[in-house]
Amino acid sequence: MNRRELFGKLLGAGAAAFTVGAIQASSDGSYNGPPGGSRGSQLVAVMSGPFSTASSPLGLLNLTQIPQFVAYLRIQVHPGQHGKIVLASSSIYNHWNQFDDAAFAELWPNYDGSTDNGRSDSWIMQDVNWQNTINLADIYVYPEIWGETPLVTAYQLV
Amino acid sequence: MSPSGLGPVQVLGAPVPLLSRSWMVTKLTIRPRLGQWSKILVGGPDLLPDESNAIAVLYPVPNGGEADAFTVQDPSGKNSIDISQIYVYATVPGDTPLVDSFYYRTV
Repeated sequence: MNRRELFGKLLGAGAAAFTVGAIQASSDGSYNGPPGGSRGSQLVAVMSGPFSTASSPLGLLNLTQIPQFVAYLRIQVHPGQHGKIVLASSSIYNHWNQFDDAAFAELWPNYDGSTDNGRSDSWIMQDVNWQNTINLADIYVYPEIWGETPLVTAYQLV
Repeated sequence: MSPSGLGPVQVLGAPVPLLSRSWMVTKLTIRPRLGQWSKILVGGPDLLPDESNAIAVLYPVPNGGEADAFTVQDPSGKNSIDISQIYVYATVPGDTPLVDSFYYRTV
């Protein structure tokens, strides 16, 4: 079984907490997966499912600790959860007292489906040329309520 | 593609540029901040508070739901949008529309 087949198997099994380091690619270890700006021919989901920041004492975490470049990224509030989701760059560390003052996007919770016909708020970023240019390590996620888990989907062309 | 580090922009009483110095980005999105009551006007340097010259008027989202948004993105994937030339105005002084901008950088 090659790496891609293994990957598909993991996703097929609903591996929500998949470790992005599983497709380590750069020889110097400075990034995971294809290099930034590359463009492959097959779209592969490299992140999916609920994303937990609970391992961080602050409840604030970037999507990957090692840079990983993707062509498409979608972050959605988890239906049924109650807190806002703050998305920010690393400048969030300049706002220790109020993380949402650094947000470039705030996603509104969808705890009972009563607004927007039940549609969940979401944030989407896509490279217009379908190149792997969006650096997951640059995107920080902070759930207002500790332990809540926005849904993150990231696609890479490999 | 990385975030520019912009976030909420405070608008006190007149249209303000998103940034005082020139900064080129490839994608820009402006949204009313959830829970605030301002209508947000987006325009160029000639934007006026009465909506004259506005290129977008965004409705507030005080009680939840997906925010109204103005988005522009370079179709060829270049940093071609100078955000110092984009002005915003909030109808409630002190409100802080959210600015989401990404740019290409070499890593």
